[in-house]
Amino acid sequence: MKNWHWIILGLLLIVSLVLEFTYLADYDSHWWNSVPAFYALWGGLGAIVLIFGSKILGKIFILSNEDYYDR
Amino acid sequence: MIVELISIPAIILILGALVLPLLPERVRSAAFITFPLIALGILWNLPDGDLLQVSFASYELQLLSVDGLSRIFGIIFSLITIIGGIYAFHIKDIGQQSSALAYAGGALGVTFAGDYFTLFIFWELMAAASSYLIWARRTNESDKAGMRYLLVHILGGGLLFTGILLHLNAGGSLYLEQLMPDYTLANIFILLGVALNTAVPPLHAWLADAYPKATITGAVFMCALTTKSAVYVMIRLFPGWEVLIWVGVIMAIYGTIYALLANDIREILAYSIISQIGYMVTAIGIGSELALNGATAHAFNHIIYKSLLFMAAGAVIYSTGKSKLSELGGLSKKMPLVLGLYLVGALSISGAPFLNGFISKTMISGAMGDAHLEWPILLLLIATIGTFIHSGLKLPYFTWFRERTEDLELKAIPVNMKVAMGVGAFFCILFGVAPQLLYTQLPYPTDFQPFSVYNFVEMTQILVLAFVAFWFLKDHLNTSSTISSDTDWFYRKPATIVEKIFVTFPNNLFGKAEQVVYAIAGGVSSVSKNPLKILLPSFVAEGREVKSDGFSASIGAALSFILFGFIVALLVILL
Repeated sequence: MKNWHWIILGLLLIVSLVLEFTYLADYDSHWWNSVPAFYALWGGLGAIVLIFGSKILGKIFILSNEDYYDR
Repeated sequence: MIVELISIPAIILILGALVLPLLPERVRSAAFITFPLIALGILWNLPDGDLLQVSFASYELQLLSVDGLSRIFGIIFSLITIIGGIYAFHIKDIGQQSSALAYAGGALGVTFAGDYFTLFIFWELMAAASSYLIWARRTNESDKAGMRYLLVHILGGGLLFTGILLHLNAGGSLYLEQLMPDYTLANIFILLGVALNTAVPPLHAWLADAYPKATITGAVFMCALTTKSAVYVMIRLFPGWEVLIWVGVIMAIYGTIYALLANDIREILAYSIISQIGYMVTAIGIGSELALNGATAHAFNHIIYKSLLFMAAGAVIYSTGKSKLSELGGLSKKMPLVLGLYLVGALSISGAPFLNGFISKTMISGAMGDAHLEWPILLLLIATIGTFIHSGLKLPYFTWFRERTEDLELKAIPVNMKVAMGVGAFFCILFGVAPQLLYTQLPYPTDFQPFSVYNFVEMTQILVLAFVAFWFLKDHLNTSSTISSDTDWFYRKPATIVEKIFVTFPNNLFGKAEQVVYAIAGGVSSVSKNPLKILLPSFVAEGREVKSDGFSASIGAALSFILFGFIVALLVILL
């Protein structure tokens, strides 16, 4: 990742946050619309939960050696 | 009648499958593309209604029922057969070409079937024809996977047919109409049969088992046709079945978790199909006009971007001969075009704005919002995050960007494969920037507007933060040489025991019995040659061996005469 990649991502996030707090300030169709930057939080937390959750499930019972069915 | 049959798009493709082997090899690939083109031209111009009836026993079968829903599925099935035909243009294997055409014919037949029997016949044709696309890989693994695939689909066909018979027996209509959400035995069997082809867990394992083992070109057809034709049938028969809302959510999350763990690139994409179909199944469960439009639009878009992803993954496998993330890496400078086209598909499936996934995912979430299904919305967003991580980031990162110490030897990718990927990417972008092109073809009229500020904000925040999380946690994702146990465990693991009990044991038993019988037969025949050897064993007298069977010719003749006398006497007494 080069610096300008991070800058673009940062700008996209800032634009979306600005829009959320200005244009969508009164928007209310779901209960989470009142939580600031909800989708950013959900995106980040969701990704963390998925990565670690799948890792744990993989360790517990999903993943096995490639020759599992040949043994 | 024969002329009328040719107006059925499915029959054109099946005819093509039969004609193809008779054509010279050099024109076969071009002919392959011609048949779906003709089918597309015909179905584009078909009027709505039940256009062709055939009497069968006491039933009137509807071979060609057209409405908005069947037309749009017919269009995308024909289109993807054309794109798949371009991708497979260099293939010289007539078996694969014919079976792919027959398979697409089956999908079109299902789409335009107006009654259960016609549906079932084309349904089974799809299963049989597609199995060959796995076997054509000609590896030990694909041989076994193809057989498992076929057996599971025979089970699915059996479930469906049982349901159909129960449905007819209970006085149900032969024609495909919406089924009321009553959990009668007939409805449950039909639902199970359809759910198996829709890859609803726990009936889904065939998909992730078979698709990664199919041929490079065969998988492109498979990822587009079987599951989506089943989605079509589900939209037709089960709209508004509320159980499907949660079934879809579970599918979406389930597929995502397995895709995150998979190591084989086409296995990631295969599990991602299950996840994406979850969206469609949830929308079918809602059953509103907007939701059914969303399910249809998402199936349409999914076929385009998923086949693009399978084509790009196939190009990597074609070029490197490797399919596992643990063996790939460092290809970004060597395959920039394939990478670029893959990323178009990857961003589409992730729901990035201005690509086709966005215009249908937002439609489904809009329908969910209208139905106030808040938790399903949030959970499907989790699936979207997962999709972006596994298809949009994990797969391309570990295939193209991760550094590799030793260079892979690359084979040049045929131009036709690149052209087909280009066409796929073109449609991803086209429908992404001009959604009305698709929306006007949907079964119900809609004024849905995907490009709202809210949708932009939502997707941008989610994708950016998911990317950041991936970047810092990517080493926690599995890229080791492992396989995932799934519900196929239940028929794969006991298979060795079942084989021992029902194949190896009887085989050994019969083998032993055969040996014993042969030994007895050998003994009897050797004894029968000269029974006197046993009755009168040789003996030694006065230092000289006397052979019991060593009579002179005259004594032998006398003994034979006596024996003959006995036989005659016996016969006289008996008769």
